[in-house]
Amino acid sequence: MHVPDGILPAPICLAGFGFTSLTAWFCLRTINRSPEPTQGIPKAALLTAAFFSASLVHIPIPPASVHFVLNGLLGVVLGYYAFLAILVGLFLQAVMFGHGGLTTLGINALIMGVPALIAYFVFRLGDRFPKTFSRRLITGLLAFLAGALGVGLATVLFFSVILFNLPSDLNAEAERAALATLVISHLPLIGLEGIFTAIVVLFLERVKPELLRNPWSKAAS
Amino acid sequence: MTLVVDSYVERDSWLHMWEPRCKLIGLMSLVFAFAFVQDLWLLLPMLLVTITLYKISKLPISFLLQRLRYPSFFLLGIVALLPFFSGRTIIWQWGWLSIYREGCESVVLIASRFFSVLTIALILTGTTPFLTLLQTLRSLGLSPILTDMTLLTYRYLHDIAGNFATMRTAMRLRGGDRRGQPWFHWQLLPQFAILTGTLLIRSYEQSERVYQAMRLRGYGLPKQSGSPEPAHGRGSFIALGVSLVVAAGFVLVGHGGWGR
Repeated sequence: MHVPDGILPAPICLAGFGFTSLTAWFCLRTINRSPEPTQGIPKAALLTAAFFSASLVHIPIPPASVHFVLNGLLGVVLGYYAFLAILVGLFLQAVMFGHGGLTTLGINALIMGVPALIAYFVFRLGDRFPKTFSRRLITGLLAFLAGALGVGLATVLFFSVILFNLPSDLNAEAERAALATLVISHLPLIGLEGIFTAIVVLFLERVKPELLRNPWSKAAS
Repeated sequence: MTLVVDSYVERDSWLHMWEPRCKLIGLMSLVFAFAFVQDLWLLLPMLLVTITLYKISKLPISFLLQRLRYPSFFLLGIVALLPFFSGRTIIWQWGWLSIYREGCESVVLIASRFFSVLTIALILTGTTPFLTLLQTLRSLGLSPILTDMTLLTYRYLHDIAGNFATMRTAMRLRGGDRRGQPWFHWQLLPQFAILTGTLLIRSYEQSERVYQAMRLRGYGLPKQSGSPEPAHGRGSFIALGVSLVVAAGFVLVGHGGWGR
């Protein structure tokens, strides 16, 4: 789900860099306000590498195979570091493999990173539920929502950016219909990623709960 | 430390010796200027500049072809239908199937821009060591958190990918991870989820050891003295000036509407 170089007009690429800089600045400011900002750097970096590796695994869904985007899970685990992690991951992909691109780095970071931040905020809603609710049920439900929202929003943003910026003479109605068709065709994958995120989060909750409640990935209160 | 991305950084072309900051600014300004190109007549000069720079860089053609392969397929998937659906001027028709001139022009424009931007980006990353590139970005004001994260992610990417491959082999040996079968199993989902969860836990635990080792070596403490600034040859500044003029030329000519 990366926009390659050459497709988007330069003003869109520059606007992408502008909004990405603003979002990265907001995340960095929040991280710098935490008690020990440097503590989170190696953790975020190694977890970014782990997400990078895990997202390359393909699951067979005939007639093709798919791989998970994992931006929702990244948001849940890394918090404010998630946007920076995605920026770093996209930069490395562009430099190492030529996936995505350097001019589209800003737009791609927004497409993947903003849904990751939204997924983080959705998952954190669990802190507001009273203790009377089943903790496991709430965690699983919010993790599902975070995972599905992460990839769902990224899908909508990606196809919107592509369809509305192609130098074509397609009419607006055709573009909207194409967008709706493409998003609907991805609904099973969005559901699958939601289920996958919920299973991973419930596993982490049972085995290493501190990974989900790290002070280094949250804003200093 | 020899990195995978640094395969051709030891060559002796002029572009390899260009001062990194000037090179980054000069080549990135060209990249963005090419992204501004909207007129077909500007494609030829753009391709000429790109090919000349690649020739000067002394990077092998096989390197370029290898890096173009995957993104080209992706690009093809996006633009392949444009000639059939985009435009009004029909240049060929067979029954209900028509090919439009405007759609074909769009494909040529996008493909040329894609080739030029990717090639210039490849020249930048292929002639500059990865660590130098990160230092340059930092010296130009990029946050230390971002540069440190990039460096550490790159440093541990191969380690963690290796761990993951070992874990998957172990799982397969125990009868899990049946990826060889051509159909989807619901069992695959929890198996892969637990594998991913375990990888995250292992990486997290490793990161704590890495952080302690970094602290012992003085990470996070204020620096005693800055490293000396690299010498800037006059040639580097002249090359930067030429790049900026060429980039500005593409933007001004393209947006001034000359040649239309």
